[in-house]
Amino acid sequence: MVIADEGQLVRSSRKGDLDAFNTLVQVYQRQVYDLCLRMLGAAAAEDAAQETFITAYRRLNSFRGGSFRAWLLRIAANACCDELRRRRRRPAASLEAALEAGSSADAPSPLAGPEEEALRRELAQHLQQGLATLPAEQRLVVILRDVHALSYEELTEALGCSLGTVKSRIARGRAKMREYLMARRELLPRQFRLKD
Amino acid sequence: MLSGRARRRLEAHLDSCEACRQELAELRVTVEALGSLSMFEVPRSFALAAAPVAEVWPRPTARRLEFGLRLATATVAFALALVVIGDFAGLAGEGEKEMPAASVRTAEDKAPGVQGGEGAFAATPAATGTPAPEGTPASIEWAATATPALKGTPVPMGGTPAATPAAEETPTGLEAPPVGTPPAEETPGVIEGAPPGTPTEVQAVPLETPPAAETPAAEGTPAALVPGYAEVQSPTPEIGAGVSEDEGPDKGVTERAGVEEEAEAGAAYDQAAAEAQAAEEGGGLSREEAVRWLEVGLGAGVGVLAALWAFARFQTSIRSRA
Repeated sequence: MVIADEGQLVRSSRKGDLDAFNTLVQVYQRQVYDLCLRMLGAAAAEDAAQETFITAYRRLNSFRGGSFRAWLLRIAANACCDELRRRRRRPAASLEAALEAGSSADAPSPLAGPEEEALRRELAQHLQQGLATLPAEQRLVVILRDVHALSYEELTEALGCSLGTVKSRIARGRAKMREYLMARRELLPRQFRLKD
Repeated sequence: MLSGRARRRLEAHLDSCEACRQELAELRVTVEALGSLSMFEVPRSFALAAAPVAEVWPRPTARRLEFGLRLATATVAFALALVVIGDFAGLAGEGEKEMPAASVRTAEDKAPGVQGGEGAFAATPAATGTPAPEGTPASIEWAATATPALKGTPVPMGGTPAATPAAEETPTGLEAPPVGTPPAEETPGVIEGAPPGTPTEVQAVPLETPPAAETPAAEGTPAALVPGYAEVQSPTPEIGAGVSEDEGPDKGVTERAGVEEEAEAGAAYDQAAAEAQAAEEGGGLSREEAVRWLEVGLGAGVGVLAALWAFARFQTSIRSRA
């Protein structure tokens, strides 16, 4: 979602207008929280998302234009990477287990019937488990590209790496996800099953 | 995106290759499935209730001061490293060459009776018992040639290197003082193996005294041998502590953000702010410039002093070894 007066809101926020900044928070909080949740699980996602917005407010002066969403997601990605690094030093519960506890927050589709909704949830669960098997950098780029639909330009901004690196990570991440899903193809909903 | 030509080649290949066609289809399903994921609802609003304290980049003056202190610390650390290397390279032996000689000379001067047979025998352990930690044979030989009385006592001299390591830990050999030698209690180090008798007791005092005076010098070699060592060493932790305190939040901030470009942007922003401030202040030597020159002078002064000191130390070391 892009708001028309985003630039004006950023400028006002820089001058200390907290309401303007909170408007930006309202616009992007779902995306930031979703990224944190898929990267870290439910337990840590809330803290990471909040930390992202606090850091963003503090560092507004370092925003040099371009996509505010990409800039914000970059801060979120860094927060996630920091948390993952901390976890590596102090291993705890698995990401899947952590995510299952918070998966009920997945937004239901208003048009889907009960059966479709159940299938959708099941697919979401499989996909999340598949994402959890990816290395963090590939998971990050696959989430941002395929779930959040960032453009390649935004991805290079959000990840701080070259286009070639972004494409390479996407290709590797998708290939692993394909392997994971095809190994469980019988669990996929009808529309995602390939005709033999 | 593929160019028209590449796309045609790909399509031609896919027409003929079943495996690639299958893989592409699976990839498309994967991407489609991932795209079907909806974003999670937020459990609460993340809007900020109050403005967090804006991140304050260190003022340009503080950054320069920090740089100056870092430079000074690095210089001093380098100089200290040179000194330590110099000490390990040979200064320790050199410092101790003089000690036995001095002690023997003092013994000669103050106790002429040492030159007698038993007296010479008594003088030898005292000379070796002086806190010459390494007790290099060369130094002992030199002492022997300098004191004619010692020449006539080849057996104790021959045993000297073996006895020396003990002398390192227990100055002047506390082990097994002969029973019935009252002076051994008063001057424990001197009388090892010395026959009881008045002359020995008389000799023992001057023999014992110089090593006792020099003992702390041997133990605390750097402080004793280098006059300015303690003075130079003590400020170093302070400088280091100051830098680390300055460095701490900066480092933490950088790590938390993990965004190098942001740091660069922040630095550029600070630079611009400093320039703007300087422009506002107008001509003349601004406060910023004055502080900068002060820092540069401070850093350079400390660096030059440390370098001079290290150089003088090396000169002394080389001269002594020669």
